[in-house]
Amino acid sequence: MTVLILTCEEDVTADMVVVHLNTAGVPVVRLDPADLPGGVALSGEYVHGSFRGHLSSAGRLVSVDGLRSVWVRRPGRPATRTAEPSAWLTEESSQALYGMLRGSRARWMNHPDAAQRARHKPWQLHLAQRCGLPVPATLITTFPQAARAFAERYPDLVVKSVSGTHPQDPPRAVPTSRVAPDADFAAVASGPTLLQRRIAKRADIRLTAVGDRLLAARRAAAPDAAGGPVDVRFDTSGTPWRPCEVPPRLAAGVRGFLREAELAYGAFDFVEDADGTWWFLECNQSGQFGFVEVDTGQPIARTIAEWLARPAAGQEAGVGEARSAAS
Amino acid sequence: MQPFALNYARPAVESDVATPYAYDSGLQLNVLFDGRIAACDHGLLRELGTTTSTAGSKTHFDD
Repeated sequence: MTVLILTCEEDVTADMVVVHLNTAGVPVVRLDPADLPGGVALSGEYVHGSFRGHLSSAGRLVSVDGLRSVWVRRPGRPATRTAEPSAWLTEESSQALYGMLRGSRARWMNHPDAAQRARHKPWQLHLAQRCGLPVPATLITTFPQAARAFAERYPDLVVKSVSGTHPQDPPRAVPTSRVAPDADFAAVASGPTLLQRRIAKRADIRLTAVGDRLLAARRAAAPDAAGGPVDVRFDTSGTPWRPCEVPPRLAAGVRGFLREAELAYGAFDFVEDADGTWWFLECNQSGQFGFVEVDTGQPIARTIAEWLARPAAGQEAGVGEARSAAS
Repeated sequence: MQPFALNYARPAVESDVATPYAYDSGLQLNVLFDGRIAACDHGLLRELGTTTSTAGSKTHFDD
């Protein structure tokens, strides 16, 4: 039984997991949907009431029925590295690949439907509240007056992207930033704006969830953090991440979140306040983990490999393993 | 008028440092020029920051 990894070639973080799968002797086929068609090929037939499908890449051939798990890590958009890319070909290739894979019995990390839903940050906030995770007071609005009223109630605010994505034309980053006390909120009418009460943080928390296992890391904030960057991604202090325990009540909330979101993997961001409370910021359903493992030594890659290596329900090991297309 | 959040945008910083490894489709791993597997060199990964959560990356839609 084979683990299928969908990711780009430069994803060295995925390599950390492939190394463990290789050590365990678990067959792996790794491919980037961007190379379909071309470097990646597929075929599936629906005949006599059954389905038989195959994928091939770099000389490896695997049957869709022989997949134990699919790890959707950092895949390129289908058909974007082909000789003649087009939006139509991308849609055709996407439908063919993911449509066939949806028919397999493989376990997903994460299923495309769950991943798509989990990318909605406002939905995350709602789900976090339902699961009992502390969520900072938040407003998402296009009403300037609502923004002004919110700023009167919560004078110390941050602004962040609603989607978590960044403009590409030209390429810009939208870090979580403190809102100036005298900010003019008129521009709120020009686009949905997410305003959130700033939590005076004692530390940033990165909690990586793999199945039922929770691996948390803590990065202490500088004592004068109020004047430093709000967004940990822009913190150049070099303070390392250190392993930390997950409070039991919070662990229950995170597991509830994962269950409701139908996620097998999630990288949660929290900030810890002076009282030790962990405030939920977001869950990245395909978030990076290598930087945490490098600092803390936590076995995140190995845990992911172990999750991926488990056989799918109703499948027995040794069936449909990856084999050379030439054999 | 541009959206409010873009008042806080900054130019995206794409690393222009060439990575000292290349993808080996046979191994399905990135390999250093001396033949070692890049993912096993945690010191190098820390130095390069290639496993780090980023913002504004063209290749990462999720941090």
